[in-house]
Amino acid sequence: MASLALTIRETLRYRGAIGQWSWVLHRLTGLGVVFFLVIHVIDTSWAVFFPALYEKAIRIYQTPLFTLGEFALVFAVVYHALNGLRIAIFDFKPEWWKHQERAAQAVFAGTALILVPMFIGMAYHAIQHYSHDPFILPLSEVLAEQLPFLAGIVVAAIGAIILAFVYNMVMGATEPVGPAKAQGSALERFWWSFMRVSGLLIVPLVFGHLAAMHVVQGVFDLTAAQLRVVGVAPSTAEPFTLEQTAALLNDDSARTENFLNGWNDSGTATEFVAERWSAMLGPVFIWRAYDIALLALVTIHGFNGLRYVLTDYTQGNAVLRRAAGYLCVIGAIALLIVGGAALLSAVPQDAIKMAHEATRAMMMAHGGG
Amino acid sequence: MEVTIRIKRQNPEMPGKEKPYWQEFVLKDVEPTDRLLEMLHRIKWEQDGTLTLRRSCAHGVCGSDAMRINGVNHLACKVLMKDLGPKVTVEPILGLPVIKDLVVDMEPFFAHYRSIMPFFVNDTPLPEDGRERRQSQADREVFDDTTKCILCACCTTSCPSFWANGKYVGPAAIVQAHRFIFDTRDQAWEDRINILAEPNGVWRCRTVYNCTPACPREIQVTRAIGEVKLAIRRRKREGIVNTKDVVIAAPGG
Repeated sequence: MASLALTIRETLRYRGAIGQWSWVLHRLTGLGVVFFLVIHVIDTSWAVFFPALYEKAIRIYQTPLFTLGEFALVFAVVYHALNGLRIAIFDFKPEWWKHQERAAQAVFAGTALILVPMFIGMAYHAIQHYSHDPFILPLSEVLAEQLPFLAGIVVAAIGAIILAFVYNMVMGATEPVGPAKAQGSALERFWWSFMRVSGLLIVPLVFGHLAAMHVVQGVFDLTAAQLRVVGVAPSTAEPFTLEQTAALLNDDSARTENFLNGWNDSGTATEFVAERWSAMLGPVFIWRAYDIALLALVTIHGFNGLRYVLTDYTQGNAVLRRAAGYLCVIGAIALLIVGGAALLSAVPQDAIKMAHEATRAMMMAHGGG
Repeated sequence: MEVTIRIKRQNPEMPGKEKPYWQEFVLKDVEPTDRLLEMLHRIKWEQDGTLTLRRSCAHGVCGSDAMRINGVNHLACKVLMKDLGPKVTVEPILGLPVIKDLVVDMEPFFAHYRSIMPFFVNDTPLPEDGRERRQSQADREVFDDTTKCILCACCTTSCPSFWANGKYVGPAAIVQAHRFIFDTRDQAWEDRINILAEPNGVWRCRTVYNCTPACPREIQVTRAIGEVKLAIRRRKREGIVNTKDVVIAAPGG
């Protein structure tokens, strides 16, 4: 960790050119996106596993702190995407190095250019929401709800350190001495290529995701009753009337599938997810397939990037170095299991009713309407 | 002109000076065309004889006076005072243990250099005339740029990956490997790319591009690293280096 402090201090002191700052920002934005990814995948899985928790998670997203975070997140994703393209281009065309400074500037300019319309769209949603006296969870509760995530990350890190410590105790802390003749690491070679190929695949997927979930419709629209659900062809010309929806919610025999019509009739985030995950394009659940591809690519790309960062700064300590690798493998597998299980499960038949109940209870508890 | 030179000093053998500290020296009558190395000499000879630095040829050939000057790595003998302004900071290059003042222990750097087999390997019998192994001009161009390295460590110690992790083989060693990997007469190129494909080989390069402007010989360092990465990825050395932009000097010109 001493090497991390030294690198931070000396990076600020060394008068490197723009490439150095691109590198700093690439790491920071990458770390930020991975951190949010962990929260986001776990949250979203609750739409299937714990609809009541999911409703609360979305209400947390609809608070000023997370609105600010959303702008930072979108910046991070867009910058990381464009800068990653720059890195990949110069990796495959190293002889273009003379243009790299201009390319790094172009990445900043391109990021700004893309962010202007996106931020206008996002700001429009935010202003619409906050100017109508919405239900806002208090900040203390928003922060308290993040503690389990932090605790989980800390527990995972401690677990990885213990595992690494035990491994080094049993197997010895020295690095295995390879054959006298170096063979080269096929694994590192694979990861180098994977980061570039997956990056290229992620860019269109993530821009589609940002456009749909942050610009066309924002996180505030997830709980707007009678709104079309983005990316889903409606099966009825109009949403259910409020009376029809109320009747469905009070009908003990009504099931999730009775709500599905391409409109978010109940105004629950759970119905929003159920609508999207039931949308078909030909024989496939198109948004489930889309999200599975995005989840797999982003999780593996993100946690391998995290491994790069962590192992860069833990080389001086045999336990931490090993723990960094374990943490990334454990994190990636856990996230793929949680997210994958949600994406491959049916939304429970009582989910929307549970979500509706939970929303009402939450608003009652906070004196909202 | 008058110039203030701030030098980061350290003397592990002297009680009270074990930790790094900054010391300022003021020099009068500095000519714009003076080189920084001469100013360091003036400080050592006229003001403080304990100032310690390494230099040999003083003409940018031996590569012994690499230091961080105004925040960037350079050879002190190749930097003119007019390009530095009236306030100059000088400190040792980063990532190698400081022995005294501006002198660092280069051994870890040379260990990485030795690790990539920096020598010509060809066990086939010599040509009939018993003299040199001939090579076409085009084949020679491919590694022309990387023959210029003088092992001053400016590039390696400008690299944030090397600061963080001294096990990373570093730009200079990769440049030296490039010189042999892409030499068609050399037969050990596969051994070298296997060495550089280890986890602390080329993969620690994050294309920060600090090394390229740091090189006093204007070697295209990051490009050379990129070409070695491609050689590893494709497991071949042909068709990777694009020599279209290499200008061959006309004979006598």
